[in-house]
Amino acid sequence: MSQYFRELTNAVRGLVIPAVLIAWKDILLELRTKDIIGSVIIFAIMVTVVFNFALNVTPQLVNVMAPGILWVSFTFAGIIALNRTFTVERDHGSLEGVILCPISRDSIYFGKMISALIFLLIMEAVLLIIFAGLFNVQVISLSLIATMVLASIGFATVGTLFAAMSVNTRSREIMLPILFLPVVAPVIIGGVEASIHAVSGNAFSEVLVWIRFLVIFDIVYLVICPWAFHFVLEE
Amino acid sequence: MLRCEQHDMSDIRHTKIKGQWLTMRTMLLVLCGAMMIGNMYLIFMWVPTAGLSSGFHAQRIFYIHVPLAWVGFLAFLFVLAGSIGYLWKKDYRWDALGHSAAEIGVLFTTLVLISGVIWMKPVWGRWWLWEPRLTTTLILWLIYVAYLMIRAYSSNPLQAARYSAILGIVGFVDVPIVYFAVQMWRGIHPGPVIGPNAAPSSLEESMSTTLLFSVVTFTVLFAFLMRERWSLIWREYVVKNSVRNTAFSKHRLDENFSLGDS
Amino acid sequence: MPSDNLPFMFAAYAIVWIAFCIYAFFISRRQQELEQEIMLLQRRLDDANTDASSKSA
Repeated sequence: MSQYFRELTNAVRGLVIPAVLIAWKDILLELRTKDIIGSVIIFAIMVTVVFNFALNVTPQLVNVMAPGILWVSFTFAGIIALNRTFTVERDHGSLEGVILCPISRDSIYFGKMISALIFLLIMEAVLLIIFAGLFNVQVISLSLIATMVLASIGFATVGTLFAAMSVNTRSREIMLPILFLPVVAPVIIGGVEASIHAVSGNAFSEVLVWIRFLVIFDIVYLVICPWAFHFVLEE
Repeated sequence: MLRCEQHDMSDIRHTKIKGQWLTMRTMLLVLCGAMMIGNMYLIFMWVPTAGLSSGFHAQRIFYIHVPLAWVGFLAFLFVLAGSIGYLWKKDYRWDALGHSAAEIGVLFTTLVLISGVIWMKPVWGRWWLWEPRLTTTLILWLIYVAYLMIRAYSSNPLQAARYSAILGIVGFVDVPIVYFAVQMWRGIHPGPVIGPNAAPSSLEESMSTTLLFSVVTFTVLFAFLMRERWSLIWREYVVKNSVRNTAFSKHRLDENFSLGDS
Repeated sequence: MPSDNLPFMFAAYAIVWIAFCIYAFFISRRQQELEQEIMLLQRRLDDANTDASSKSA
């Protein structure tokens, strides 16, 4: 029994602590430079405003259209945020440094994923508040928050993998959306559907169908992507 | 004979494209051609015309639309196999398998989308609808187009092989989604008419016979195209590698080193 | 009328046939280019061989 406990603590020490450290490094960097958060949030707000002009949202249609606009803004801003998590590494050559450390690839992956997830969640929180104001919709509901958290997990999982790949290719930042959007599309679809039901105040069972959908995809991608990440970092 | 690092140039000569493989290749080509002629006969002369709800003559598109879709899925399965094989064995032959299968899979899926769209117009009155099966198929197409793009935009062949292999594995998650989209969500795309999940007696016997024959025909076509494309990609890779190594060897020649023994 | 949908059927089959023909043509052309390149390389190798052997002779 105690041996099992010892193995568990070793695993924690080997995987979790380095991951947390990497995530903490990214967060510290962000706190100092305010690189990602400020510009990405402003970008998200601008996309929302542009969509408002483009789609001519009337009060009757708000409940149907607002979730879609929310998710488009979130997707675009999320892509920029994900790109930045790895371009900052590439620009300073720090990814090679991290690989040289005696930590497992999984730690690197989960570290980057956790920091990306935190950035995405912060951006979403601000976006939701703006939305509540601009569109006068009921956003502070448990089902909507659950939806956004689950979708953000999916985004961060797939996005970290593909961002690591795309920064090494020739067209850098444009490669990420091309690779990433088709694969993460089910997550976006699930998020939008769940949001529509949540915002319209439909029965929770309707939302639950789509939340289950999101959970399945999150689990599938959480299994595949860390494994695939090993091959991205090989030299 | 000059020896290159990995591949002997004599390797290429003995397995010339128009040489030793002629028999198998010709057999496949003849079989494919014969089956295609038979397939066209069945579709246009034998099977009865469908009713109004299926679009009368436009319904015959069904006999290539469905086989194209299935063989497309098969192609993406080969991409999965090639991707796993490459990441595991690090042999470029597996990568060539994935690459050729992805190209052919994108071709087939493009034709599925086009044929589906053309069939849809007379039956439903519009060119496109954002319903589950169509949307997920479009996403599938985008995933494998991204596979081809990342190969084109990679900095070197090693990166191209590795990154596309990753995408080939992650992207395959969408294939079962496309297949089961019709059953999971309600949309306008017809449900399965053949196989374990089919509604009973949804297809007349002559129609299902024609469909099955068409599936076999397109599978033979797929086999033929795969062989050609896979061998072409692999040989191009070997020649490019040998050229690189030969260039270095020629430099050594110029300096009067002895050749052929090392 | 039933025959009204014939253009759609024709269009779909024509596109599919043309697509496959183009693809087969594309493969065939690349194969020919590869053959030519192999022959070229082989000739260059033979030349290099004869040069080297005549030098060392």
